[in-house]
Amino acid sequence: MSSNFWLWLMNIILVISIPLLFIMVKGVLMAAKSIVPRIEAIAGVGAAISKDLDAVVVLLTTQNYISQIVGSVADYGGSLDIALPDA
Amino acid sequence: MGIPIAAMSLPVAIMILLMLVIILTLAVFLIATIVELFKINRGLSTVIGAVGEIVAKSAPVNGVVDAINGNLVKGRDLLENLFIKKAGDDAGGLVESLFPGEGAKFLQRVGRRGPVVNTGIVYTRGVDILASLGRGAPIGAAHAKGPAVRDPKYATTAASMLYPRPGGDPKARPKSPVVGTDSPRQYESATTPGLRPRNRDGSDAPPPPPAPEMPTGRVESRQAEPEAAPPPPSGGGADAPPPQSGGGDDAPPADSPGRLNVKGSRPWER
Repeated sequence: MSSNFWLWLMNIILVISIPLLFIMVKGVLMAAKSIVPRIEAIAGVGAAISKDLDAVVVLLTTQNYISQIVGSVADYGGSLDIALPDA
Repeated sequence: MGIPIAAMSLPVAIMILLMLVIILTLAVFLIATIVELFKINRGLSTVIGAVGEIVAKSAPVNGVVDAINGNLVKGRDLLENLFIKKAGDDAGGLVESLFPGEGAKFLQRVGRRGPVVNTGIVYTRGVDILASLGRGAPIGAAHAKGPAVRDPKYATTAASMLYPRPGGDPKARPKSPVVGTDSPRQYESATTPGLRPRNRDGSDAPPPPPAPEMPTGRVESRQAEPEAAPPPPSGGGADAPPPQSGGGDDAPPADSPGRLNVKGSRPWER
């Protein structure tokens, strides 16, 4: 076969591969673009969670109150133990 | 480069052109992808900052919640032990009466066994409280002696022991009277309506009382009473009311008519 035949065959393969390459590269670009808004949404949710967790500090006050309430209950139970006869 | 385009053959020229198209396409799309990846990188940096804040703020939660749970468990154990100490074997039943279905679980949790009798079925909550507080009452004494008075199997027995025969001996009770047309004839039939000749035991019936005088509506003169009315008791002394008429005689004159008013003579109201 002559050399021109091989050159024309190479040209045909290139012509066929160009749209395939275009499709695949465009798919990668679209996937990269779709990640961006999701990342922004996750960042917004993370900021909201961080803001909600500001109330966690109040748990320290709750812990103090619970300790005081349990102490009062213990005192009340001691009084009941003296006031009521055993079974 | 020194190679003139006119010197190339046509297939070579087309191949070079296609190569250029491919390279340009790759360059355009890869540059756009790189730009998007930079945006993703910036977004992830923001997210990582927020996640770091979340981790920092939620770090002490476990310790605080564990401390709160520990305190609450101590309080629960204290109250449960006090409850078991005071209620004894009735603890499960009391829990069952307040929270149906929880009595057995309560006994299992505190490590006790035994039947769970819902005390609310036998007695109301108020009676239970009174029984627990007032040990002087019979029900309180029974409660103090044991759980039988609260057990539905023995509740009737305990009540019958307290009150053996509320209605008395059933054999000593009189029978119910027979009424109707078949009832036994107790009295002799009277010839005159309203007059009973004999009593039920056969003795003579007392004579009927005289018929009272009926008012006629006219002013009549009445004879004097054969016997004066008995004097008032002497114990009255100075407190006794003075007689209305003079002379000290309470009886009206013999020829005085009865008391008059708008309805006529009323001799019984002298």
